[in-house]
Amino acid sequence: MLKFLKKLKYGARVLLSKGGGQEEIIDVAGRSTVMRHGGEGPPLVYLHSGLGESFMWLPFFQSWSKKFRVLVPTHPGFGNSGGFDQIDNIEDMAFHYVEMLDALGLEEVCLGGVSVGGWIAAEFAVRWPERVKKLWIADAPGMWVEDQPPADMFRIMHDRDKLRELLFYDPKGAMASVVVKDDPDEQTMLTAYQSLTVLARLVWERPYDPKLPARLRRVQCPTLLIWGDHDKLIPPAYGEAYKKHIAGAELNLIKNCGHLPMFEKESEFVELIGKFCQD
Amino acid sequence: MKFYFFHLMPWPYLPDDFQQRYDSAWVWLPNTLYDPVKGHDLYREYINTLAYADELGFDGICVNEHHQNAYGLMPSPNVVAGALTQRTKHCKIAVIGNALPLYNPPLRVAEEFAMLDVMSNGRLIAGMVIGGGPEYFSYQINPTHAREKFREALDLILKAWTTPGPFMWNSKHYHFRYVNPWPLPLQKPHPPIWIPGVGSLETIEFVAQRRFAYMGIPYFHIDVFRRVFAMFREACAKAGYEANPEQMGWGVPIYVADTDKQAREEFEPHLWHFTRNHLKGIGLTPPGYTSAKSAAAIVKNQKHFLYTKKTWSEIEEGAFAIVGSPETVRQKLAHYQKELGAGIILTGCQTGTLSHELARKSMELLAREVLPKVRGGIEKSSPASSHAMVR
Repeated sequence: MLKFLKKLKYGARVLLSKGGGQEEIIDVAGRSTVMRHGGEGPPLVYLHSGLGESFMWLPFFQSWSKKFRVLVPTHPGFGNSGGFDQIDNIEDMAFHYVEMLDALGLEEVCLGGVSVGGWIAAEFAVRWPERVKKLWIADAPGMWVEDQPPADMFRIMHDRDKLRELLFYDPKGAMASVVVKDDPDEQTMLTAYQSLTVLARLVWERPYDPKLPARLRRVQCPTLLIWGDHDKLIPPAYGEAYKKHIAGAELNLIKNCGHLPMFEKESEFVELIGKFCQD
Repeated sequence: MKFYFFHLMPWPYLPDDFQQRYDSAWVWLPNTLYDPVKGHDLYREYINTLAYADELGFDGICVNEHHQNAYGLMPSPNVVAGALTQRTKHCKIAVIGNALPLYNPPLRVAEEFAMLDVMSNGRLIAGMVIGGGPEYFSYQINPTHAREKFREALDLILKAWTTPGPFMWNSKHYHFRYVNPWPLPLQKPHPPIWIPGVGSLETIEFVAQRRFAYMGIPYFHIDVFRRVFAMFREACAKAGYEANPEQMGWGVPIYVADTDKQAREEFEPHLWHFTRNHLKGIGLTPPGYTSAKSAAAIVKNQKHFLYTKKTWSEIEEGAFAIVGSPETVRQKLAHYQKELGAGIILTGCQTGTLSHELARKSMELLAREVLPKVRGGIEKSSPASSHAMVR
């Protein structure tokens, strides 16, 4: 019952937030890109995970939008964003975003992302460090830690229970069932398949970039690393690996949290990043 | 009507508790379950059985490619086909096929198929496949490029066989300065091309447009074949020609014994073993391997797939296997053959744990008592028909 109420409450918050964001379609070097944005202030660009949480203006975007101009683009190939045929690897994603900043006339932004979004942010920052005022990376792949390989999500993707177990600290909790629904309808399944397809293109052969560790020294801005202390997909050791290669980076473990802190520990997540980007 | 004898070469020694202990017979099933000493005997007997099909007068024999699994022990069907070129004299040798995106460079396929064609004195049928979903896990090949790579590799191989080399090749996934394979195939302009499929419109239209032959993969309800061949004929008509029956292959297990009762008794346990063990995990489909639309269709087709079947009456009703006395099998084949309009039957007489002896006994009855009577069935194709599928 409590779980049901929590789900209901989240649904209500999503509804209430909705008006805060606007949807726009921007042309990024010929790629039609869906972007949601809201708020005024320093620009904060959020790069979404493989879940495609950019498809909606969620409460955590709304929270940040009180202090920032929050920009939430949808990656090429996800949802209604085009350009998938031009994306072969993670570097192509980084190039897409430098062209997006150009298209928006943004010189310098606070940049970050969760999971694959965090990896894209890292690949961006090593190439165009001058355009990143602050960098944050949460629960991201991109590196390789020898004795702690990332889990194989593609093996269990059809099993809703196993998926919740992999992605959440509390797979029985309300947010786990909000994010990974039981009995999804056909449209939800098709959208998920589409998202997983983009993810597969980026990570299938090698879920990391062997060149990234050596390149991370090029990151010049303050960097915040955020990891769920129980991330079973990309274990916290990956946070340590990023920390090791980025001078001055700070690693924040969120207690009792899995791979998706923006859902499982929303308030902590929002506050950590809000504070970091503001200072 | 042409009959092709198909052998999967399964691993018949899975442990009794396989179904409880393992979630799949594919990709990650521990290879400690494989025993090379038993494996030697198996290859010998499986190859003997395939060679026997030639002696019995089957029109062809088929081998195929699967990796890291207990379902079929031919990661390289070309190795087995190489042995068969020396063990057979008359039959076609159909390798259906090589999973093109798994070969880098795909010129390897042009070379090995040419070797097989020359070694067999022009008896090769060149099957080209995208490869099953599990192979993309086993070889870690990006599934989102599978279809693009398949088409590019196929065009490259055909050009390598038909355009004097050396020439330069440049496409999105492949670049070669010197395409110049030695040897070249004996059959001109090239061996017949067969493409297996599970019913996606995309593949059907492609095969029809290119005038190749479409092989319907077995273990589906007869309704699926009805629909697929109707779609294929329509696609050929749209491409401006009438489909030749020999452009259509129906994959189906057949088992013959003296009586219906005996046939079922001898065959049924092995079919269920195969269904519940070897098929477990075969449906593993990586994202991007098909379009989202096709993926949804695959999910819907699941209920027409053998793996979901539990009773013998379901097997009979859906013609998942044709089992019975020579007379019963003859009648059923004649009936479905007329209905489907397919000119080729690809049949595995060996399934799951069925012994070599029973498999051969069934083959003998099929070859001697059934084939001579059904062969004439819808044979409206001319002797030149095998060249019709050559572009």
